[in-house]
Amino acid sequence: MTRDPLIRAWGLLVGLSAAGAAITHMPDFTGGAVLILAMALVKARLILHHYLGLAGAPSWRRGFDMAVAAVCLLLGALAVAA
Amino acid sequence: MSAPQQDAPGLLDELPGEVMMWVLIVSELLVFGAGLAAFMAMRLTDPAGFAEAQAHLHRAGAALNTVVLVTSGLLAALAVRAAEAGREARKRGLLAAAMALGVVFLIVKGVEYADKAGQGIGMETHTFFTFYYLLTGFHAAHVIAGVVLLALVAVLRDPRATETGAAFWHMVDLVWVLLFPVIYLIR
Repeated sequence: MTRDPLIRAWGLLVGLSAAGAAITHMPDFTGGAVLILAMALVKARLILHHYLGLAGAPSWRRGFDMAVAAVCLLLGALAVAA
Repeated sequence: MSAPQQDAPGLLDELPGEVMMWVLIVSELLVFGAGLAAFMAMRLTDPAGFAEAQAHLHRAGAALNTVVLVTSGLLAALAVRAAEAGREARKRGLLAAAMALGVVFLIVKGVEYADKAGQGIGMETHTFFTFYYLLTGFHAAHVIAGVVLLALVAVLRDPRATETGAAFWHMVDLVWVLLFPVIYLIR
């Protein structure tokens, strides 16, 4: 397995995208929307940390992580409320 | 005599790339975040109608586009490394490949829109499609802008410019990984 964090991040992004699409082919289950949004949050963090380079800027990384988590939390709450 | 004091690096110095690009990234996240929240709020008023409308979307095409875009993002990130190492030819090759994948994304999106038009589906068909066209269309406009920006920085011999162009491209990636599950996947 590659040690390059960029390539590892790309592999995870592709894997999570495939997993997210595969989940929608399964019968509806409780928490499906939450699981899909949790995967989206992980993907967003991978892009922020490795593609955009926030892995080397801990203060900014924490701020952006919290902001994206807040957006996903809001979307998740609205999804569950439907 | 004491040595001149050096200023301690500030918080902004820690941020990679151009500060203005980060201002743009935050602005775009706020705009798309608000749009997606409004979409989910409208879904509360008609869950069955939204589910029926969503069934007309081509999830496999959108999933393919996710892979296309994140791969393009990887190529742009590798181009930044090449620019920093002074490897201009490699940088240009990687940026050209990233742009080509951006064009593939737009072609898949165009096929998707043509399919909807063929089914007689437009912005007025349902609230779902109003948001679908607004959010995905606005994102596609950013993809076009990103391809143009990558083409511009490809000809500049300035690693900082490459980093700035790539940051815009990653912002397009970032928005898509949030937009894709909300519009296409959540039932």
